[in-house]
Amino acid sequence: MELVIEDIRKSFGEKQVLKGISFSAGSGKAFGVLGRNGAGKTTLIRIIMGVFPADAGRVLTDGKPIDYDQTKLGYLPEERGLYPKKQIRDQLIYFARLKGMKQTDAAANVDRWLGRLGMSEYANKRLDTLSKGNQQKIQLITALAHDPEIIILDEPFSGLDPVNAMLLKDVVKEELARGKTVLFSSHQMNYIEEFCDSIAILKDGAIAVGGNLEHIKRNYPRNKLIVRSPQAELILRDMADVCTRQDRGELMLVLPAPERKQEFMRRLADSYDIDEIKVFEPSLNDIFVEYAGEKD
Amino acid sequence: MRQFATILSFELKNYFKNKIFVGITVFLVLLCAAVMFYPSIAQAFESDDGGQSADEMQKPVMLVVPEDNADEQRVQSLKQAFESAFAGYEVRVERLSAEQIRSDIDSGRIECAFEITSPTTYTYYVENLSMYDQNSYTADEVLKNLYQIAAMEQQGISAEQANQILTEQITHETLNTGKDQMQNFFYTYIMIFALYMVIIFYGQMVATNAATEKSSRAMELLITSAKPVSMMFGKVIAACIAGLIQLVCVFGSAILFFNLNKAQWQDNQIINSIFNMPVNLLLYMILFFILGFFIYAFMFGATGSMATKLEDVNTLVMPVTLLLVIGFIVVIYSMSSSDMDNIVMKICSYIPFTSPMAMFTRIAMSSVPAYEIIISVAILIGSVIGIGVLAAKIYRVGVLLYGTSPKLGTVLKSVWKA
Repeated sequence: MELVIEDIRKSFGEKQVLKGISFSAGSGKAFGVLGRNGAGKTTLIRIIMGVFPADAGRVLTDGKPIDYDQTKLGYLPEERGLYPKKQIRDQLIYFARLKGMKQTDAAANVDRWLGRLGMSEYANKRLDTLSKGNQQKIQLITALAHDPEIIILDEPFSGLDPVNAMLLKDVVKEELARGKTVLFSSHQMNYIEEFCDSIAILKDGAIAVGGNLEHIKRNYPRNKLIVRSPQAELILRDMADVCTRQDRGELMLVLPAPERKQEFMRRLADSYDIDEIKVFEPSLNDIFVEYAGEKD
Repeated sequence: MRQFATILSFELKNYFKNKIFVGITVFLVLLCAAVMFYPSIAQAFESDDGGQSADEMQKPVMLVVPEDNADEQRVQSLKQAFESAFAGYEVRVERLSAEQIRSDIDSGRIECAFEITSPTTYTYYVENLSMYDQNSYTADEVLKNLYQIAAMEQQGISAEQANQILTEQITHETLNTGKDQMQNFFYTYIMIFALYMVIIFYGQMVATNAATEKSSRAMELLITSAKPVSMMFGKVIAACIAGLIQLVCVFGSAILFFNLNKAQWQDNQIINSIFNMPVNLLLYMILFFILGFFIYAFMFGATGSMATKLEDVNTLVMPVTLLLVIGFIVVIYSMSSSDMDNIVMKICSYIPFTSPMAMFTRIAMSSVPAYEIIISVAILIGSVIGIGVLAAKIYRVGVLLYGTSPKLGTVLKSVWKA
């Protein structure tokens, strides 16, 4: 199912929280929604979930305005929480039923998921008797048990140990393979890079940069050079206006224009003892810091 | 609709699994049983002892000291009169000095004493004068009676005739054209009190329930899974059904136990008046219970949804509770002043927050024209719907607000916009 977000705008009082957000996420693909705290991610997710309407813009599924009675959405909120004093299986079935499942189907799916995540032994325990990581797995079942077509996972990896994180990765990959549309929101960039084909980085309610991740990386201005040299101090002194020291003794040269990189490379190679020169390839983390950071 | 049914059954199950709910219900049923079976049980114990227990039990001793110049006839009539007036005492007539009386009372040989100094004066001796001590009043009557008989005898009327004149009873009959407030008072009082307690108890439960879901953040998931209107109505109607079931259990068992022990309660007018409550009043009770319950439960639910922490709930629901308390006080005050149709009551029986109690009381204890009842109920039904919808909207806004508890004005503003 293709999910299209079309120019969503939302204000709370005087504050404009979303200023025209548009993107699309395809079937069997994961889409990453990134942004610092307060960038508008949760508001956007709530609008997609239909908790409150947008002031303007549309949410479309397969080209038509979303019909919440027909479209099954799964949601793992960032603020985790279920009924701490209630039996795990009971409340999971309750949540699946709220999403429109029949009692027997809900019970079958809940049992299957409890088994898949290795939680069957806790089925009849109270939620608050579980560790935080296990509670998180239970919460994940509420997002998946009703077999939703669109899955929204807000910080799904926070609080999971590496083994459980691996389990979750497998689950997400399985769901993607089954053609589900997954919307990811996370600050852990490595996971986003691993799953998401496309991303949108939100800043102050607008998309600072968005689209295909490879594309974004390739379009990142190639005006930075990384240099390793025994004469680093000398280079730093000679080119103080463009050169800064990086970690592990590397130098970074920020060029006035990308076209001049050949010229700078030649100049460095001719004048100094150079071990390595390369064009800086940004990680998603670098891109995030650059676009979502304080820079204006 | 299916979602609503799911929520309703989930919430109802929670009530039946709630130990406090089950505990209170069982306790109240047992209490009814204890009260209703008490005469039978007490009787059974008495007959086990062969009916001797009352005689064998040591009655406290009351001493009557006649005047110094009293003759044998006077002593006899004093003994007779005091014995018949104080059935709970063993009455002894002896001549003792004041010191002896004191020492006998201190040692516990006698409980109290009347030292008669003249036909119209006496001294009452007692160790500790209880607040409920009626002995001196009774003694006043006894001595006055003896004095009057003696005086009449001097006028040539025989003792028997004098006694007859003094003890003549007036019989009367009351024909009531409206309602008998004496009869209605107790069951109306019980009903109003039950209504008040149930609204407070379940209202708090609804508020706490909403606040718990919010503070445990289960709300994040609930609000994206179910419509706020379904959630609000599911919770409130579940609470209403649970409350009704509890009332039916308690009152039903009371009626059952009463009928099992009907013979024992024959002479008790109050208990009989309660259980002979007219059916139409019971139907009014159910109607006002449901409507009154809804209006308050919606308000409690909406305020509960605004709380960020569980501790805030009590403060937030205070204004709602206050409304209920005001209604309760007005009704109870009017009931005890037996002026059911005063202007405050009349106004209160149209205000939806007070009308369930005020109008019900007026119907039960006074004569209310049908049109007034219809207007009151119509206003109430309209308000229930209005407040229900508003509460669901407040709920939707409230549950997503974290941080400091928002002001009502802010919430209403965002409700208006939403």
